[in-house]
Amino acid sequence: MQTKLYRLFSSVRLAIFLFLALAVTSIFGTLVQQGLPLERYEKIFSPDVFVVLKFFNVFDMYHSWWFTLLLVLLSINILACTFKQTPRVMNLTFPRKREIDDSVFTSSQIRKTWHSQQDLSDLEEQTQVLLKSLAGTPVQVKKINDARYFFAERGKYSCLGMVFVHVSILFILGGGLIGTIWGFSGQMNVVEGTTSDTVLLFSGTGTEKLGFDVRCDDFTVDFYEMGMPKEYRTDVTILEGGKKVASGTIRVNHPLIYNGLKFCQATYGIAGIDNFRIVVQNSRTGKKTGLTMGLMEKAALPESTASFAITRFVPNQGGEIPAVMGVLLEPGKAHDIFWIEKNKRKEKGDFTFTLQDFDKHYYTGIQVSKDPGVPFVWTGFSLILSGFILSLFFAHTRVWLRIAAVQGGYEISLAADVSKNKKVFREKLEGLIGTLQQGGAA
Amino acid sequence: MNDTFFVSIVTFAYFSAAFVFLVSFIFEKKCIDTVAVVITVAGLVIQTLALIIRWIHSYQLGIGHAPLSNFYESLVFFSWSIIFIYMITRKRYGNTITGTLATFFSFLILAYASLSGKVDCRIQPLIPALQSNWLISHVISSFLAYACFAIAFGTSILYLVKRRTGKWNIAQLPDAAVLDEIMYKMISIGFVLLTLGIITGAAWADRAWGRYWGWDPKETWSLITWLIYGAFLHARLARGWKGIKMSLISIIGFLAVIFTYLGVNYILSGLHSYL
Ligand code: HEM
Repeated sequence: MQTKLYRLFSSVRLAIFLFLALAVTSIFGTLVQQGLPLERYEKIFSPDVFVVLKFFNVFDMYHSWWFTLLLVLLSINILACTFKQTPRVMNLTFPRKREIDDSVFTSSQIRKTWHSQQDLSDLEEQTQVLLKSLAGTPVQVKKINDARYFFAERGKYSCLGMVFVHVSILFILGGGLIGTIWGFSGQMNVVEGTTSDTVLLFSGTGTEKLGFDVRCDDFTVDFYEMGMPKEYRTDVTILEGGKKVASGTIRVNHPLIYNGLKFCQATYGIAGIDNFRIVVQNSRTGKKTGLTMGLMEKAALPESTASFAITRFVPNQGGEIPAVMGVLLEPGKAHDIFWIEKNKRKEKGDFTFTLQDFDKHYYTGIQVSKDPGVPFVWTGFSLILSGFILSLFFAHTRVWLRIAAVQGGYEISLAADVSKNKKVFREKLEGLIGTLQQGGAA
Repeated sequence: MNDTFFVSIVTFAYFSAAFVFLVSFIFEKKCIDTVAVVITVAGLVIQTLALIIRWIHSYQLGIGHAPLSNFYESLVFFSWSIIFIYMITRKRYGNTITGTLATFFSFLILAYASLSGKVDCRIQPLIPALQSNWLISHVISSFLAYACFAIAFGTSILYLVKRRTGKWNIAQLPDAAVLDEIMYKMISIGFVLLTLGIITGAAWADRAWGRYWGWDPKETWSLITWLIYGAFLHARLARGWKGIKMSLISIIGFLAVIFTYLGVNYILSGLHSYL
């Protein structure tokens, strides 16, 4: 029973099944939009379908119990499979002793035998050259009477490559798990000039206190000439107990990292407008006065009994032009209400109003995330790439050679084991032996 | 001079190369094959120049960035990658008929890029999310991977043709075993490049959005593609599957590639929909 289970879990058959099962089920999550509030799905699907989908948690399927189960099975599969391969790989990489048993000369896939009448010392020299160009510096392993055994090897670490690749997946999945359990992510909106220490979690499970304050000193948007956004940037200061401990700039693709938390530029918006700069000209006296006022603030107009207030602001009156709604108050008269568009003169009664400018206060939307699994994931990524490099660019090559005295000279037997490109190796071998034999005959 | 002008020359070059490769294939003439290779290399060189010109041009417009950032540029780079991969693997795995396929695919992609009204070929400024060096390595490795898979796909079709047309066996087609080998090699190289593409994409996402993986449709479909080819490699290496079964998985894998590249943008929507 135990061995049967072990065999199942270390089988490549299960691996292929899991690969395909993960691939097929992943498709569903790309067809049904993930992570909306449940009420939305209730509207989209009929009640029966809804119940089934909800049971399988298709609305957040990549975190569902069954998808997680598939990933856990894959991890067990990789563990068992690595465990099973370990003895073989270890034996290849760190062999105990370099014993040659004669069977390689009869059982290897690549073998070759030829005869020579040269001196033993000449032959040994040729062997050195031959093995060196095939697989690196040869070592003489054994000397039995008239027989000499040589062995050369190259790229023995390449077979560790696949082990690296497999183990890396465990790091990546493990890192993902750690992030899900101990990490969080959410957003904080901070108005310019204010501070915040609270993150609204994306998971909808409330808020997270950071334990320090984030102050937005400034937010700016730059645009290209064509009008597309070029850069969003937030200058922030981090305060602990009211004292400045760090500061920096957050731009898209350039997050700020503080205390294991990553702050990314996510959105922005206009939090408020004030300091409207209005120029009022009294048409009777010709006197111009500049006013700086906020919303719902009343200001007396010069050389008259009237006063003026701004009651509303719209960013795009009739298209793209910002405008304010002004109110002219004169004793004994009804309120006069009118729009003043930016940089356009507006005549009302005895006055001409021009809205010159105003200050915008932005809020910046910062995505805050904490993921203690990230170092594991990066380790996994480096491991998988080094595994690929090991197994792609290096091949394990082993060559054995025996010079044995026979009647009328020596018999030379060669055996080789290469982990890839057997054809290329064979061609090279034939070529080398060809030149050797020609040299020998001459 | 405008880079799109060079691209139209290249489109024509690849079409001619595909034709000459086909002629060489049918008549089994080595010298015609050489002509096709010369045309292809010329096309590749001009296309490389076109990429560089576009790059320089973007700087002259004051919005300098590598020409890898919108749909048009990705199509041009995709066709470049197919020829590039074909040329560097030609010595070992390339042959006349894969040459026909590679140049013809590239021709189709370029023709679509220039003739379809849907593809905007203007140089556009980069929105902030796309201003990233990770993105450049992400695009390069992903499209080189797609190119390998495209060649493997073509080879699998040839394999099926070779095996299925037993009676009127097309003698000129390489041996089934050779086709099988090309398919396998292309997929293993493609798998490594796709892995690199996913990793660089994750690094980019981590810096841009604060998470390395978010299960958005494009990410998920790249994973689906990766899993299919992963299944391919294991079936092949550890269970000794070959031939028709493998060709079918390779074809399904390439359909997943196409869906990842186009389907996700046209059919599903997600964070990547600007590509
Ligand atoms: C997501 C997880 C996995 C990845 C990315 C992965 C990747 C790879 C790669 C790239 C190869 C080399 C293929 C080639 O050279 O053509 C390979 C080989 C292999 N894999 Fe996996 N693998 C995974 C999971 C598994 C699992 C779960 C098993 C367990 C049975 C397994 C068993 C094997 C075996 C037996 C080989 C052949 C090794 C050899 O002969 O050297 N793999 N794997």
